[in-house]
Amino acid sequence: MSLTRRGVLAGGGATVLSLVVLGRAPRAAAVGEAPFAVPEAREVDLVEHVLARCSFGAAPGDRERLRALRPRTEDAVDTWIDRQLEPSNEEDPALRCSLGRLESLAQPLGELYEWKPEVLLRELSSAALLRAVGSRWQLREVMVDFWSDHLNIDASKGECAWLKAADDREVIRRHALGRFRELIGASALSPAMLWYLDGRTNRRATASERPNENYARELLELHTLGVEGGYTQADVMEAARCLTGWTVRDRHRFRKGRVELDPSLHDDGEKRVLGHRIAAGGLARDLEVLLDIVARHPATARHVAVKLCRRFIADTPPPDAVRSVAAAFRRSDGDLRVTLRSLFRTEAFRSPADRRTKLKRPFQAMASALRATGARTDCGPPLLELLRRMGQAPFQYPTPEGAPDVAPAWTGTLLWRWRLAMALAGGELAGTSLDAERLIARAGGVDRLAAHLLGRAPDPAEQAALAGSPRPLALLLASPGFQVC
Amino acid sequence: MSSISLGTPPGEDRVLVTVFLRGGADGLALVPPVGDDAYRRVRPRLGVPPARALPLDGPFGLAPELAELHPFFLSGQLAVVHAVGSDDDSRSHFVAQELMERGGVAASGGWLGRWLRARAVSGALTAVTTGREVPDSLRGAPSATALAGLMELAPGPEWSSLCESLGGLYARDARLGGPARDALAAAARVSKLRTEGVRPEHGAQYAERREGEVAHAFGQQLAQVAALIRARIGLVVACVDLAGWDSHFAQETIVAPRLRALALGLSAFATDLGTALSRVTVVVMSEFGRRVAENASLGTDHGRGGVMLVLGGGTPGGMHCRWPGLDTDRLEGPGDLPVVHDYRDVLAAVLARHGEVPMSAVFPGHAPRPLAV
Repeated sequence: MSLTRRGVLAGGGATVLSLVVLGRAPRAAAVGEAPFAVPEAREVDLVEHVLARCSFGAAPGDRERLRALRPRTEDAVDTWIDRQLEPSNEEDPALRCSLGRLESLAQPLGELYEWKPEVLLRELSSAALLRAVGSRWQLREVMVDFWSDHLNIDASKGECAWLKAADDREVIRRHALGRFRELIGASALSPAMLWYLDGRTNRRATASERPNENYARELLELHTLGVEGGYTQADVMEAARCLTGWTVRDRHRFRKGRVELDPSLHDDGEKRVLGHRIAAGGLARDLEVLLDIVARHPATARHVAVKLCRRFIADTPPPDAVRSVAAAFRRSDGDLRVTLRSLFRTEAFRSPADRRTKLKRPFQAMASALRATGARTDCGPPLLELLRRMGQAPFQYPTPEGAPDVAPAWTGTLLWRWRLAMALAGGELAGTSLDAERLIARAGGVDRLAAHLLGRAPDPAEQAALAGSPRPLALLLASPGFQVC
Repeated sequence: MSSISLGTPPGEDRVLVTVFLRGGADGLALVPPVGDDAYRRVRPRLGVPPARALPLDGPFGLAPELAELHPFFLSGQLAVVHAVGSDDDSRSHFVAQELMERGGVAASGGWLGRWLRARAVSGALTAVTTGREVPDSLRGAPSATALAGLMELAPGPEWSSLCESLGGLYARDARLGGPARDALAAAARVSKLRTEGVRPEHGAQYAERREGEVAHAFGQQLAQVAALIRARIGLVVACVDLAGWDSHFAQETIVAPRLRALALGLSAFATDLGTALSRVTVVVMSEFGRRVAENASLGTDHGRGGVMLVLGGGTPGGMHCRWPGLDTDRLEGPGDLPVVHDYRDVLAAVLARHGEVPMSAVFPGHAPRPLAV
């Protein structure tokens, strides 16, 4: 066992290195052999709440590692959050090993085109799930999931099939806990985004040409100000003018995937966006000035705050929390760590009222089941197929607003969640395995396993159902208590 | 269960079945324009003799191998669209199929996926394909399952026991109780289907093996779809493929058995459904039609305009085509029937009967020219 203190404290699972060295199946989530702690109370406490919302669910050992950080629970939670907000690139060897098998992911932009689109999509999807299940930097993975929707790109459009892999790496993952302005800046010139929202065809070589407004509209409506952000159609058209001329070299050209400004296609006249004058002759600077304006607009702070509060607090975000998160966003000039820290300190996030009120989305339900059971998994096609049946195959949401973050969109997926529970507990999924009996033994019995999976002691009805069940683990994973976080 | 349809809004129990003729089906073989003098000239050996074609409207006849579909045309339940296709002129199977299933170049996801999203249908079993792979048209759907996957939902006594326990636990849940009830009912119906097997009704007879492997396989897929529709598991869309239409060489040996498969399959399906055909629409489409002139090896090469069929579901029926004719100066590129009607205008007319959704959400960037199909 060679684990750094930092690694243990960061909440990553312990890993049995010898199995990897011996060439056994890769394990994405840690499976220790030792007993692990489970919550004793009937109510969900702060530790269980934070692990449910700020990670893809508690894995065996997570709660005691968190509690060991500081004597007082509140302090321990704060320390855990602080560490999660400062992730390194250090990961458990098991995860590194699993990711290492996905060869396409490390390829530079131009080389991505050498791969078949379906291979890239499969590897990218597996990697997303592997990291959600196995990364010790869980909060970063939660934010990667969040921004992947906020800046949604469907890999099925045009050359996004090749370019989304680069967007994931260089836009979403790089800036997930960075500064909002840099995230939006990277996204605006991401070749995948230029394909997905037609920015690459936005040109105005002559006065009679009309710019393509697609990206400019979504930039304002979805990425920054929000649909009620107070912009007008004129703002959309002026923003589109600022962005004319940015193109991507397509796959039939030398240096494919390269983004560049063609000055002959850029409308270099004066523009007015949201009351700001952008002087003529700015060329590439137009884009930067435009992004400065929209990223720092008060409506953007509010829009991002609403979405973050919807993700971390409740489907209908409490106004007080939105106000203080928006204020932190503005005060810090869009520093996402400061913004998130403020969110996690709001009364709404800390209060017991909104615990286990969010319906897990299918991806989260799957990742949390794999984490909680300590399953060994390659996150391969059988799991991805189930995600598709539940309508949340990664990088395949068709429209720019990204997969919804409210319960009604996902209540129709129960049947497949139950199927996942049966298949996972029964070892029916190729590439994924777990030992249900050992898990029950390590938890200290079925009721204690229930407490581990639900984040609270089971109620009498749950106990009764479990007592008569031939497959208690499947029942727990399929039960209503496991579908919420 | 009081509601007749699961996971869909009340009153919405309509089902859309798409049949994709993969490989580029020859529109001039399905619906030969036997009354057009140029037809005999361009198809001297492959052409259907006028006396053998079953009369439709104008110069058009139905291929004799499609005889079982003729009564549906006469009774106004079958619409035929000729010279229809997409604006893709690559003449590549891969490019044209992908583009057609996505519903246009400006779009991402599939046209059915976007339509299901826009309709906000949320059941677990809303979209099913009889193939092994879910087709591109269903990309981005709220749920899409291969039929084999659906049958995983009935894996034995442990599943039944799980469902029983879950029924009790979910009944207490204000938010998930209703959806869980729907899901359990759907699961029970799939289980029943699995144990009882597929039993066609109303005397419907799908093709036997001796009527050809293609016809048998296609018929079995449609029989399964009909069983799913009857079981009311919440099905909204089913995708069926009939592949192998790429008839460059010895066309008759390739096309004739597939025409038989189509006719036997669709007529048995319609019989099987009985009056339910009024809430089920079948759309038959292909990525492109074929070259007007036959080639030296008694085949035809990749072309442009082809044929679409719409059966049931309240279609007004009839023949739809602004026929460009087959004279050389009317043809496109290397001698292809031009695309006069956009396939999206056919689909849009059908979708309009299957739930209110703005077509801009399904076919972004397409300026509609509605067809009365």
